[in-house]
Amino acid sequence: MSLPSAYLKEIESLNREVLKTAPTDILQFCANYFNRRLESERAQFLLSATKDPKMSGSTFPGRLGTNANPFGDGTSAGKEQMSSGTISKVVEEEENDTITSPTTPSFAFTKGGSSTFGGPFGGDASGDGPPSSFKPTSSEGFPAHYGMGRRTSVSAESLNPTASSNDNWSPPFHSKSEDQIARLKKSISGNFLFSHLDDEQSAQVLGALVEKPIPAKGIKVITQGDQGDFFYVVEKGSFDVYVNPAGSLQPGMDGLGSKVATIEPGGSFGELALMYNAPRAATVMSAEAGCTLWALDRITFRRILMDSTFQRRRLYESFLEEVPLLSTLTRYERSKIADALETQKFPAGTTIIKEGDAGEAFYLLESGEAEAYKAGTQHPVKQYKKGDYFGELALLNDAPRAASVVSKTEVKVATLGKDGFQRLLGPVESIMRRTKYEGVEEVDPLHKK
Amino acid sequence: MHRTLSHVFHEAKEGVLHNAHLTHSSSRGSMSATERKSIAEQEKQFVAHFSDQHEPLPPEEVQQDPRNKELGRSSRALSVKDFELVRTLGTGTFARVWLVKLANPAPEDKDKVFALKVLRKVEVIKLKQVDHVNHERQVLADVAGHPFITTLITSFSDHDSLYMLLDYCPGGEVFSYLRKAKRFDERTARFYAAEIVLILEFLHEREGVAYRDLKPENLLLDAEGHIKLVDFGFAKRLGNSKPPSFLRRRSFRRKKSGDSEEENCTDCNSGETYTLCGTPEYLAPEVIQSKGHTTAVDWWALGILIYEFLTGYPPFWNQNPIEIYKQIVSKPVHFPNEPQISEEAKDIIRQFCTVDRSKRLGNISGGAQRVKDHPFFKGVKWEDVYYRKHKGPILPPVRYPGDAQCFDMYPDEKEGRELYSDDLRRKWDDHFKDF
Repeated sequence: MSLPSAYLKEIESLNREVLKTAPTDILQFCANYFNRRLESERAQFLLSATKDPKMSGSTFPGRLGTNANPFGDGTSAGKEQMSSGTISKVVEEEENDTITSPTTPSFAFTKGGSSTFGGPFGGDASGDGPPSSFKPTSSEGFPAHYGMGRRTSVSAESLNPTASSNDNWSPPFHSKSEDQIARLKKSISGNFLFSHLDDEQSAQVLGALVEKPIPAKGIKVITQGDQGDFFYVVEKGSFDVYVNPAGSLQPGMDGLGSKVATIEPGGSFGELALMYNAPRAATVMSAEAGCTLWALDRITFRRILMDSTFQRRRLYESFLEEVPLLSTLTRYERSKIADALETQKFPAGTTIIKEGDAGEAFYLLESGEAEAYKAGTQHPVKQYKKGDYFGELALLNDAPRAASVVSKTEVKVATLGKDGFQRLLGPVESIMRRTKYEGVEEVDPLHKK
Repeated sequence: MHRTLSHVFHEAKEGVLHNAHLTHSSSRGSMSATERKSIAEQEKQFVAHFSDQHEPLPPEEVQQDPRNKELGRSSRALSVKDFELVRTLGTGTFARVWLVKLANPAPEDKDKVFALKVLRKVEVIKLKQVDHVNHERQVLADVAGHPFITTLITSFSDHDSLYMLLDYCPGGEVFSYLRKAKRFDERTARFYAAEIVLILEFLHEREGVAYRDLKPENLLLDAEGHIKLVDFGFAKRLGNSKPPSFLRRRSFRRKKSGDSEEENCTDCNSGETYTLCGTPEYLAPEVIQSKGHTTAVDWWALGILIYEFLTGYPPFWNQNPIEIYKQIVSKPVHFPNEPQISEEAKDIIRQFCTVDRSKRLGNISGGAQRVKDHPFFKGVKWEDVYYRKHKGPILPPVRYPGDAQCFDMYPDEKEGRELYSDDLRRKWDDHFKDF
């Protein structure tokens, strides 16, 4: 293993000093030498930090003092910019390593004495560099431009699921043509904030988008640095995107900064505003007259998602409460299962489970109707409606399915495999042992006699 | 340069402050000045000596009924005048943490120091964090006494601020040491991760609390180099623990109409919550996608944290937060060639940072016990960890009890801040009555 080059450089220059001065007390000389080195190097660092406070931090929107939480927030915007700016600058310089890394055996901060923090830089009241201002000493292995400053916490408004509170909120609905719906669907389908929505959530979100005409050219829809509450999809016309490196729109001719993109119909912008209130990262301005946008605000978006998730979770939990096999689960365990259930949809006439197959999953019927058939019988042996369940014995053993279950109408089921169940709660047998599971034979035709 | 807190906060409002303080709750309103003074003296005694016992309490004793517990109670008579400001330890948008001493201390208490977190009501309201600060006080009171969590000694309020008196942690932020050292070796990372596992086990499985903002910035070191988790601004009781009876009673408490709070009968018991909060690099995918989240978010964040300990930077990073979120929901954790990371460490990080919550370590069956049994923690004696049998891998350079050299310096508060108006007070003061 070779010694770090920064170290070799330090030693080399110490060698030169020793040769030049020929000191009598070698140890004292070296100690003094390194103390001086440290002092001048840190002073230089602090100087560069104050001289050039805005290197790269400003390109990080959403972090500058929004809804931050108290202690973790740490620093003001300027301070964050300062530290991240200087760090990324330092990366280009060849600096000298004066602080041992904890990977070396000598890494230790001694208590009390003149440790790394002692000496000229340990001062409490002098405004000297605090520990976190000491920089990492080489860029090797670090992502380019990685911001080394304290990270600000973010938070959206706390919302209360409608079903659990007194108000009767329902999402706004603005009707749209089929064409418009199709275009909107296409625009948001690839977006990570929308791609996982189910059909109902998606329909509600599309319904909530409201038309916003932008009649003239040069209207600023969003302004860099302002607080953001809306997400936009372009319906008609085009919009130019400007970024000012200062982090916000400035007065004067060049205040917009430089144009970085143009957004055409089908494009969208401002999605961060759907997550939390953060300063806008760019200014977006209409590039022609007669533009149209679709707008969606954060509170509406989040309430739609929250309410539907909340209702579905409660529905699943109430279904699970009715399953005798799972009657010994605690509320917490049921909520974990509810969390893991996956929704599936089947058209009418689909065989959901097939007699004789190995049982691997159990099902809750969320909507629609289904029937159980056994080989050799013409008529269904059991009917299932909303809230009923089937296939739960698969959780217990690997016995083949004792009947087939076929959807009578279009059905929506919530399902969980044996694997998932066991991952979350451990072996079903141990849950069964909590109390005797009785009465299966009578109620469940899937149970093989 | 020592000033008293009241100077700093209310140069022009001394009289108002005093009166408002005495009438702010009914119990205080009925107190005579002499009574108040004598209670304040008793409370100061308690504050000065809260830490005299050093051996940590076992987890089940930490988790006793807060009403029978002395730590974390709301104070009846203390005010900012009972403390002397030393310097700022940290700032936020609506809070500032001061290093404080007792004002006019007994000779044997003159070296006693504390951290006083001051939240300005007007900012709390403006930033819509009223629920969060109430959760913070409540959760801190419930967990007071845990060896690796900052101790809420007491809380109080006056006309326009809320105060939480906390134990002082002289070592500063793990963040500072990590950035300075660039990265930690696995032994160091394991030491801190083990203490955090015990914190999460306690919060999740005993208290039913999700912490929701794990990151190196929120981990302080005490004088022996042990972790103290601070900033419970996003901590929330989700009611999914096996709580002692007093907690169960409380969680079934009916919600008063007109409460704007998330916290209510249904939600409190539901095990999941919906408010997006945390720190971008550490957000779990289910938080980003608003799927409703549970205590499982903290295990995700622990995976990110161990990664950052070992490499010096988080696995998902970009200057644009939207790009971070895209990576979090879709990309597996990638490990660099340098530094070399052991297979055990890679495995535990991958198992924590699993998008599917039914597969995420910590959330799956066995809970925290399964985490403790992971090969990454091989050889760790968990009892020893809890009872702090070994000193930490980094010993902070603390020269005397009130030494604050491990903390960054912060600028003074700006002048001309918005005032807490009578209108605001009428509308909101009831929401702060727990302080």
